[in-house]
Amino acid sequence: METNRLRAAPVSTDVPLISNKEVWMNIALIKQYHENISRISAEKMVLDALKRLDMENIAYLRNPSLTNVERFCVLLLRACMVRDALVIIDRPFSIIPHLQDADFIFQTLKKIDDFYTTCYIFDYQWMADKYGEI
Amino acid sequence: MAILEDIGRREITTSMSFLNTISFAFKVAGRMFQPRIYNSAMRMVLINQIYFTSVQIVPVFLAASIILGSLLIGIVFEFLKMLNLTAYLGNVLMGLIVTELSPLFTVFFMTLRSSSAINTEMAVMKVDGEINTLEVFRIDVIDYLLVPRIISGIISLVLLSSLFSIVLMASGIIISWVIFGISIDLYSNILLTSADFFDIVISLIKCAVFGFFITMIPIQSGLRASREFTSIPIAVSNGMVNVFTAIIIIEVLSLVIKLF
Repeated sequence: METNRLRAAPVSTDVPLISNKEVWMNIALIKQYHENISRISAEKMVLDALKRLDMENIAYLRNPSLTNVERFCVLLLRACMVRDALVIIDRPFSIIPHLQDADFIFQTLKKIDDFYTTCYIFDYQWMADKYGEI
Repeated sequence: MAILEDIGRREITTSMSFLNTISFAFKVAGRMFQPRIYNSAMRMVLINQIYFTSVQIVPVFLAASIILGSLLIGIVFEFLKMLNLTAYLGNVLMGLIVTELSPLFTVFFMTLRSSSAINTEMAVMKVDGEINTLEVFRIDVIDYLLVPRIISGIISLVLLSSLFSIVLMASGIIISWVIFGISIDLYSNILLTSADFFDIVISLIKCAVFGFFITMIPIQSGLRASREFTSIPIAVSNGMVNVFTAIIIIEVLSLVIKLF
C-alpha cells in the first residue's frame, strides 16, 4: 500500500500545473526534486519526451498558453516522471472536454508506454460509451 | 465583562499567532542547514529568486539610493554645520546613517517590492491548487518554496543594504566637500575612525534577520489562504501588516542590543 502511494501519479484538474513555471520545468520538477538530476539532463529528458508526442514546441510555454490537449499531455508526462509511475487519470474528459471518444487518450498512452508501469483511468459510469470496448 | 473577555480573546489570538510565527521560523531555519534539501529543483528556484529579488531591483534601487541618499546626507550635514557639530560628522554618518538608516530603507524597499509579490504568489498558488500539486507529488513546500525565497531574501537584504551604504558614503564625499570643504582623504579618515566593527556586525545581522522575516511571514500568510479567490486580498493584507510589525520589533530589539 505504502509503495503504491509513493508510485501514485495523478493526472487531474485537481492537480494543476505550476503556473509560474514553463512546461519543461513542470515536467522536470519531479525528477529534479526526488532524484536530484541536473537541470541540463532534466531539460533534455523532457524535450525528448515532448518530442515523442510531437509537442517539443510547447516546452517553453506556461500553463495559460496551452490548449486542453497540450495541457493533458503535459499533465500525463509529469505524472510519468514519478519513479515506477502508477498513473491515475481522473476524468480525462474534464481536462479535454471537446474529445468525442477516448482514442486520443489511448494513443497518447501507447506512445509513452515505457514511461509508466500501470495506468488507471477513472471516470463516471455514464461516460462508459466514450471509452468503447477496452 | 464582555469587554474584558474581548480583550483577553484578542490577546490570546495575538500571542498564539506570534508563537506560531516564531516556531515556524525555527522550523524553517533548521531546514536551511540540512544539505539534503539543496537538490537540483531547489537550487534552480534559489537562483531565480536571487535574480528576481537582488538583481532585477538594482537599477531602481540604485536610482532611489542616489536621489534619497544624497538628499538625506545633504540635510544631515547641513544640520550638523548649523548646530556646530562638525566634529560628530563621522559618528552620525556611520552610527546613524550607515548602520541604522541603510537597513531600514532597504527593508522598506524590499518589503514593498518583493514581500508583497511573494505573499500574493503564495496565496494564488494556494487558491489555484498548486500547493496541493506539490503535496501530491511529495514535494516539501518548506524545502522547495520557502527556503530558496528566504535565503534569497537574506542575501538580497545584506547586499542591497551594503550597496545603499556605499552610495551614501560616496555621496558624502561630494556633499562634505561642498558643505564643509573636506577633502577625500580627510573624509575617508573620519569614516574609518568612526567605524565601529561591533555596530557593522549588528547591522549585518539585523539585515539578515530582516531578510528572513520579510520573506517568511508573507509566505506563511499566503499559505494560510483558503481555496476561495476572496481569501487572496485578506491573506496579502494580513501578511503585510505582520511584516511591518516584524520590522518594528526587529528594529527595536536591535536598538536595545546596541544600547546595552
